[in-house]
Amino acid sequence: METPAIFWGVILWMIAWGVLGSILLRRRYFARDLDTTNANFVGAMAGAALGPVGIGALWAKTPELTGRIIVAFALLAVVLIAGAFAFADPKNNCVSNGSFVASQITNGLIIGIIYGFMALGLTLIFSILGVVSFAHGEFYMIGGMLVYYITAVWLPGINPLLAVMGACAIAFLIGALFERLMLTPMYTGKIDRPVEYGILATFGLAFTLQYFVQAIHGASPVKAERFIDFPRIRWPEDSDPLWIRASRGNLELFETISISNPRFVAAVTCILVLLALLYLLHRTWTGKALRAVSQDRDAAAIAGIDPHRMNMLAFALGGMIAALAGALLVQAFSWLPQVGAIPAMRSFVIVVLGGLGSLPGAFVGGILVGLVEAAGTGCIPDAQKAASYIPAYGMIVLTLTLLLRPTGLFGRRFASGAHGQ
Amino acid sequence: MKRIPDIAGVLLLAFFAAFPLVYTGANYDYVMHVLITAFFYAILASSWSMLAGYAGQFSFGHMAFMGIGAYTTALFCHYFYITAEPTGLCTEFAFFGNWFVIVNPIGVTSTTLTQDCLRQAMAGWGDSVSVTPMPVLLGIVLGTIAGGVAGLLVGLLVLRLRAAYLALFTLGFSEIVKATISAEIDITRGQAGLELPALFENGVTVLGRTFDKTDKIPPYYAMLFLLVACLAILAWLARSRFGLFVRALREDPDAAAALGVNTTRYKVYVFTITTAMAAAAGAVQAHYVQIITPNMLFLLQMSLVVAMAVIGGIENFVAAALGAIFLQIMLEVLRTSFTIGGVEIDMTTWRLVFFGILLMVVLRFFRNGLIAPVIARFRRAGVAEETVAKRRAGEARS
Amino acid sequence: MRITIVRRALLASVGTMAMLGGAAQAQDCPIKIGALAPLSAPGTVVGGEAMRDAMMIAEADINAAGGVLGCDIEVIIGDSEGLPERGAAVMERLIAQDGVVAVGGGYHSSVGVAAKDVADARGVPVVFAETWNDTITGDKQKYIFRIAPLSSWASGTIYQFALTLPGIEKVAILTENTDYGIPASEETKRGLGEGGVDSVIFSVDIGTQDYAGIVERIKAEDPDMIITLVTGEAAYNFTQQAADAGIGPMDLPFVTGQDALESGAYWTNVPDGQYAFVQRIGVPESQFTEKGKAFAAAYKEKTGKSDVESYAMEAYDSIAILAQAIGEAGSTDGDAIVAALEAIEHDGTLGKIYFPYGTQKDPSEDGKGDEWWHQWPDPALTMIQYQEEGQSSTDAAIVYPDAYKTADPILVNQ
Repeated sequence: METPAIFWGVILWMIAWGVLGSILLRRRYFARDLDTTNANFVGAMAGAALGPVGIGALWAKTPELTGRIIVAFALLAVVLIAGAFAFADPKNNCVSNGSFVASQITNGLIIGIIYGFMALGLTLIFSILGVVSFAHGEFYMIGGMLVYYITAVWLPGINPLLAVMGACAIAFLIGALFERLMLTPMYTGKIDRPVEYGILATFGLAFTLQYFVQAIHGASPVKAERFIDFPRIRWPEDSDPLWIRASRGNLELFETISISNPRFVAAVTCILVLLALLYLLHRTWTGKALRAVSQDRDAAAIAGIDPHRMNMLAFALGGMIAALAGALLVQAFSWLPQVGAIPAMRSFVIVVLGGLGSLPGAFVGGILVGLVEAAGTGCIPDAQKAASYIPAYGMIVLTLTLLLRPTGLFGRRFASGAHGQ
Repeated sequence: MKRIPDIAGVLLLAFFAAFPLVYTGANYDYVMHVLITAFFYAILASSWSMLAGYAGQFSFGHMAFMGIGAYTTALFCHYFYITAEPTGLCTEFAFFGNWFVIVNPIGVTSTTLTQDCLRQAMAGWGDSVSVTPMPVLLGIVLGTIAGGVAGLLVGLLVLRLRAAYLALFTLGFSEIVKATISAEIDITRGQAGLELPALFENGVTVLGRTFDKTDKIPPYYAMLFLLVACLAILAWLARSRFGLFVRALREDPDAAAALGVNTTRYKVYVFTITTAMAAAAGAVQAHYVQIITPNMLFLLQMSLVVAMAVIGGIENFVAAALGAIFLQIMLEVLRTSFTIGGVEIDMTTWRLVFFGILLMVVLRFFRNGLIAPVIARFRRAGVAEETVAKRRAGEARS
Repeated sequence: MRITIVRRALLASVGTMAMLGGAAQAQDCPIKIGALAPLSAPGTVVGGEAMRDAMMIAEADINAAGGVLGCDIEVIIGDSEGLPERGAAVMERLIAQDGVVAVGGGYHSSVGVAAKDVADARGVPVVFAETWNDTITGDKQKYIFRIAPLSSWASGTIYQFALTLPGIEKVAILTENTDYGIPASEETKRGLGEGGVDSVIFSVDIGTQDYAGIVERIKAEDPDMIITLVTGEAAYNFTQQAADAGIGPMDLPFVTGQDALESGAYWTNVPDGQYAFVQRIGVPESQFTEKGKAFAAAYKEKTGKSDVESYAMEAYDSIAILAQAIGEAGSTDGDAIVAALEAIEHDGTLGKIYFPYGTQKDPSEDGKGDEWWHQWPDPALTMIQYQEEGQSSTDAAIVYPDAYKTADPILVNQ
């Protein structure tokens, strides 16, 4: 399948103006002594979307940048790329096949929700401790492994819900223990560069956990049984197409979009736990204390909150969230000691995209990354290469974000405390 | 006392220089192989410690630059040849009376029957036409330059980022490089790996002794030389004004900027120099093992380098290099399984568990690594004695 | 380098005499045989561990039968990690450090390709067990043998089988982007094309977990059959996710990856995997040789697995055939072992193993390609089908080729 020159022409045109716009507008805003955080991003998007016209308009007006302008330009740029693509390759499934597009978007959304949830743990840790946990993927891995061992080896026949909760509890303990043993020196100012120390320490934990599980368990892939079977549903009875049709392992919407049981269960659980988490953070004392520490450590300490306890809680909670994601996905994927690497990378991408330390950012970032990966896998015309590049799609998003808007979509400019930013 | 580390250094160097000539164990080739690999990791660990420990830039993309160096020379040697006659099959240009041939990529095939255009032409020629491969040294130089240029570009992009973001960005870069190499099978041969000519394809003759291409002595000295050269450059950098600026950067970038140090420029310099070193090490190692695969860019390999530097002493590049040599040897030695109380411990997997635990313990309790404090102790011991002596002298006078 | 030259000269001339100088006696006991197997990531560890267990059984069996040349043998396993550069280093270590006289095993083709040159340069014979790449024997190296089938033969079985099925017009091939997957997928595509069947190849990175996007793409192609050329847990993931999406083994003819032969792991990981086809090397357990039956029993007992994978049997044979060759050569000298191997008739677990072409008779004399060099010509390549849920792979029905057939394939889409 040849992709015509016009597609690449449009892309090059957009890139050229995007780069130009990002550089020019940053200068403009810098010179005017205005907030430059968004200038790069807006410039790039305006240049990409409207070329010289967009940049010219922004340059002439140099307006106060609102979220609305930014989103408008970004959407326009995306639409333009999609349009060029549709024009260049009209026979592509992404253009001609509506149900294919719907399925891919659903897949992207579902996996995005799950990974967004996992990234939430990472961002929670970062917002309190200022550390990027490199052991996040390993928490995910042990979550799944524990559920398998509990349901299949140690206590066969146990209710899977209990197994998931057990796995979470163990992950929570590991997280708390690690934080007490390894991360405490970070807070006392004994270490010159706490951020780097934190990265290395979690790195060591990741290494140890992964090879420990491999040494104990070996390398044969395992998988937990489906937690629940869907009931047989056909609804509404007499319509064509059926709106919802469910069988044991599958859910079908409008007879075009099929969602597999494990993913559906995982995504729904993630949303429920997310709601519970939001409740915890906003309605309980502990949650408020956590948020207070993330906003201003010293003030929180003055208000009688023990930041050290909050550190432990945040790290353990973050690890537990990753473990929960793993515990839910072990019924969907085959599980190995190395299984954490890919979701860990994806979590890094998501938190950077959403803004390190931002909770809503992690969730929105997760969905965006899910969609980008779905688009990449689904739309690249060369079937041989589309899937080989899966690991790279997210990384390209990460790279672009860091170049255009290092604070991410929802990033606070000055995160507090011992943070790296 | 103060000179002990220097003397020890010279002795150690002399030991490594003389080792291949005096050692005669039956496992000679294997020991040499372990040492060459250890030197390779030592270059990576010491340059990384310069970047991370001295300049404070936590890059997780060091292996990617190593890979860029290795793949540059691999592709260069794999696809370019000079022939005396035109092949008539390949893309080719006249080149000082000869022909510069670009071989067509044929990807990975399972049969020996598929051949690229140059092999087809050679089959037709018999032995009558001379075909010259590209010089390996030129490939290594190109690889080093490519690594340095890539480092320069990445360095320019990351200069605004700090700590956590920098780590993630470089990790992302590394993944993109790996995915690209794995996916572009037609050119890079993906996971199958790209084969390279040996470091000294035609052998070398030194002082009347001829070494053929499978001998370990020439690559041993080549790698040792590269290590010493890298350490010398790093030492010179660290002692110059440049090193002072770099350290100022780490301690307090804002203050350094306020004092008029062009922080960005120095950050980029450090990035470029250290990545070029990684690329050079990668290129030489690739020619030594004669095959390169994208798995060299695995995060595990990066974590090994990081762990080696940390255990040796992250703020002292000599200690980092020693740590790398020591740990690489330990990792090889520890492969042997043993039995405790009837339970067989399979060291192939457990050694990495111990390695991880060691890494955490060192981080927690020996913040400067295991080797750096030893060096520092001797140095400081001297200083202390001198100070005491001076004070005494002062007291005596008063 | 002088030391090596001296050593090789010693090896070649004195043969059974002192091998490595020093205190070695006429015959160093035990006789050490090396083995390659991937035992850590990124290699396929499941395969490596199966081979390791099989080779350990081989060691025990041979020693129980009195060993070789009056000595016990010792199998030393080197972990190749699935990396070519490691493979070369491990081969180096086995030969130089451990002093092995011959090497068996071998799983990943790329590792085999890199490691064989080291062994050949040092004059140590290697019998590869599970490296399929044609170039392994195609390079016609004196010390390199193989009992695994050629990758081109294996692909041939799959597409010829596909062509026998009715109503197949379009095939989707999922392959891993490795030196195993890429050539195999291209040959399968070519073979199908010659039979008038259209096919489209999707390639993925090894270790891919989430196939949702790819499964949708395959679904949109509306294939009549799916062929999976992926190793390790990735094949399990793909098969189960395809089944979830309604294009699994229960919906259309579906050839799943080789690792499905370990049926215990297969049914855990792919609960909806009934009616999947798998390629298998070797005859069904009912047609096993006596030796094969004995090995299968020992293997199942040792590993607790429900059946024996073909690569475990190949690994066992690679060690056993080397032991027999050393015995027949009467020495541990590389050249003598090669001469013995070229003349050998070994009753292995897989059948009678022999190498018709080599230094005595070039493959070209019979008009065969270079890849027939030192290659066992008769590995039985079959297609099996899991016709009942939870079945073990040795009980599963053989549906192709006709020579071994035990049942007709059940075609789910008819």
